[in-house]
Amino acid sequence: MKHSKAKENAVKCVFAATAIICIIAVVAIFIFLITESIPAFRKIGFFKFLFGDTWNPIASDKYDAPLSGTYGVFKMIVGTLAATCGSVVFGGTLGFFTAIFIAKFCPVKIKRLFTAVIHLLAGIPSVIFGFFGMKVLLPILGVFSSNGSGSGLLAVSLVLGTMILPTVVSLSKTSIDAVPESYYEGARALGATHEQAVFKTVVPAAKSGIVASIILGIGRSVGETMAVIMVAGNKVNYPGGFFQSFRVLTANIVMEMGYAGEVQLGALIATGVVLLIFILIVNVLLGLVTSRGKKEKSVKKRSGGFMGAFMYKIKSDRIGKAASYVCAFVTVVALFSIIAFVVVSGVPHLSFQLLFGEYVIAGAISILPSIAATFMTIAVSLLLAIPIGVATAVYLNEYTKKGSRAVKIIRGAIDILSGIPSIVYALFGMVTFVVWFGGRMSVLAGSFTIAIMLLPTVVRSTEESLKSVPDSLREGSLALGAGKVRTLFKVVLPSALPGIMSAIILSMGRVVSESAPFMYTMGSTIMPMPESFLSSGTTLAVALYKLAGEGRHTDEAYATAFVLLVIVLALNLLASFIEKKLNKKLQGDKNAVHSSKRKSFGRKKREGQREN
Amino acid sequence: MEKANLWYGDFHALKNIDMEIPENKITAFIGPSGCGKSTFLKCFNRMNDLVEGCRIEGRFYLGDVDIYGKTDVNELRRNVGMVFQKPNPFPMSVYDNIAYGPRTFGVHKRALLDEIVERSLRQAAMWDELKDRLTKSALGLSGGQQQRLCIARALAAQPKILLMDEPTSALDPISTGKIEDLCYELKNEVTIVIVTHNMQQATRISDKTGFFLLGELVEYGDTVEMFSDPKKEKTKNYITGRFG
Repeated sequence: MKHSKAKENAVKCVFAATAIICIIAVVAIFIFLITESIPAFRKIGFFKFLFGDTWNPIASDKYDAPLSGTYGVFKMIVGTLAATCGSVVFGGTLGFFTAIFIAKFCPVKIKRLFTAVIHLLAGIPSVIFGFFGMKVLLPILGVFSSNGSGSGLLAVSLVLGTMILPTVVSLSKTSIDAVPESYYEGARALGATHEQAVFKTVVPAAKSGIVASIILGIGRSVGETMAVIMVAGNKVNYPGGFFQSFRVLTANIVMEMGYAGEVQLGALIATGVVLLIFILIVNVLLGLVTSRGKKEKSVKKRSGGFMGAFMYKIKSDRIGKAASYVCAFVTVVALFSIIAFVVVSGVPHLSFQLLFGEYVIAGAISILPSIAATFMTIAVSLLLAIPIGVATAVYLNEYTKKGSRAVKIIRGAIDILSGIPSIVYALFGMVTFVVWFGGRMSVLAGSFTIAIMLLPTVVRSTEESLKSVPDSLREGSLALGAGKVRTLFKVVLPSALPGIMSAIILSMGRVVSESAPFMYTMGSTIMPMPESFLSSGTTLAVALYKLAGEGRHTDEAYATAFVLLVIVLALNLLASFIEKKLNKKLQGDKNAVHSSKRKSFGRKKREGQREN
Repeated sequence: MEKANLWYGDFHALKNIDMEIPENKITAFIGPSGCGKSTFLKCFNRMNDLVEGCRIEGRFYLGDVDIYGKTDVNELRRNVGMVFQKPNPFPMSVYDNIAYGPRTFGVHKRALLDEIVERSLRQAAMWDELKDRLTKSALGLSGGQQQRLCIARALAAQPKILLMDEPTSALDPISTGKIEDLCYELKNEVTIVIVTHNMQQATRISDKTGFFLLGELVEYGDTVEMFSDPKKEKTKNYITGRFG
């Protein structure tokens, strides 16, 4: 008996330890950012760095010698702000109306199609967005621009705007759907038309959720790296017009990280700090909006719910309705044009050599090594992130008291992790993991870096599914004399399996589509087959970026984009398939496997009668 | 039971309850909602340990073992089975549901398990109904079947006491009848303590009845005696339907 108690405690300690790993990761990242950036801030001068508008780094600058370069990121701060504003104006508006369309104007039949479209859009890797922008958008915009290339604020806004669309749409839709039906009915009962009821009653009631979705979109815009690099032009300029080449903070880090000198690296890490501060501001805003939204709701309930009705700015509901139709249409067109572009331009360039051939340096191109490297990365990073993430979620949900300090600290750590832009992880990985694993970029270093990035998703998704396991099952098992550990492994975790599986597949998708964190941890030069986990290599997304960027292998880039898209879409499909299948199994309709649903219904009925 | 006191945070849920529960009899707890009868029931297998901010004073003996003393909780729960208000079969096959308890306590031999499963299902009078469906998911059963399965699952661990917390409140009358019959048959083998809202049920199946009100045990005695000639005014009011 004592033995079993010792076992219970040991297991609890293991779970607690994994939760602590999450905290350690956050603390390590912050310590790294602070210790590495402070010397740079000191040397350059805090205000000079933030508000200086000349960025002219000299790689030979050292901390113990006078500076010969100039380090001011103000132009890039303005660039990030402008790009964010532009993307929110475009993506926010489009997303807002599309969400209204899906929630309130869409015929039921195509509602599922739309939801699927938004889902797909969310899964497309940012490199593909960038690639699409580069190959399709820029030439079109180039016609209208004075500089002929089309790159600049307009292109960035369009690309980023499309990227934040899924976030804005799905969250706005959720909050519109959450508005009580009684508001709508009340408005209709007062003689309002469908459009009036939607735009003057339902949408204002969902205001806080919609604002929150846009703020999340802002967060995504600020942190996005690759897609921006591919269409911004990247000269250090103020974003003077729609077609002026400019640079954002994230781009600054990626562009120069590879060959940065001592002070320069410090300045780049300091750029990361600035970026992080932006993200923290966005998170604080988000917290304010959501907490105020909750208060507002309770006030509204007391005053009858219609107070917000006349605050809304759209004067004519008909315009609103038209706008929502148009925006929904644009969203679908955007998605299909991206997919069509990738398919149409990619398929003709698929070749045996490219897919399965041998890669010869400076000779034949093959993406087989990249595919191998991608799967190696998936394997290692999931091996790290899934056990730690699931165990942390178990600790949070099964072992701690709700609202205790430990829970708050761990949750806070996880929230922070999910807010850190991927490029900051890249910096962190480059300075820590790359050094750990022998000072050169490797699959292992890249996998460790992305594993930390995966943690928040895994923890949250697992926690959600643990919460949905009814307490009565836990009680049932405990009442049979099973200990906590047995209850957990035999009853709770199996019931939470669909959620855990979808976390796994989401994570795989993330590994496949991320690129920024790999470039300086794993390698950005396409290499022959990785020999071991300590070899460097490129994932498919990075390979695409390289092939697209160099301009010499555009055909191969098209084909790579196609392969990448196919993998991502396949993972998406797999996720929903597995979730459906597992849920069905858990719901116990095993009969349905053999006979059609209707038959099993009949059988149930008969059983009921027999019992009678 | 001696001087049982229980608090949920600041709320004094059970007040000074002294009670002795006879072996191989059915004891029913009745009383209005929130009077503490379910809470009291959960003291017997220490399920209240799971509730945050719950504090228990007093002594609970099973035979002459103090269950809040040095006893292992899981060992205790093996001896004191429990059936809940709503059926809670695990999302596994019928067989695995019933084998869950024995497996917990280290029975892994297939033949032995088969024997236990059959015995438990027979005890719960559902062997004939389920013998061809042992490998099917337990979630496909009807509500009444699920609840009897939960009883069989509890019996598989061969408990000395079976606690039932309003086991029929979520069921239709026919299933309820079956479960009552089952209780009646089982009492030769186990001691049953049942919480019920339904006074008819208490009179039908129990040997002794305890009436709870606001956390106090108002009256405790032979069922027949109590319902025909209640000693306390409050009991009389309750069973004649004046309040509750």
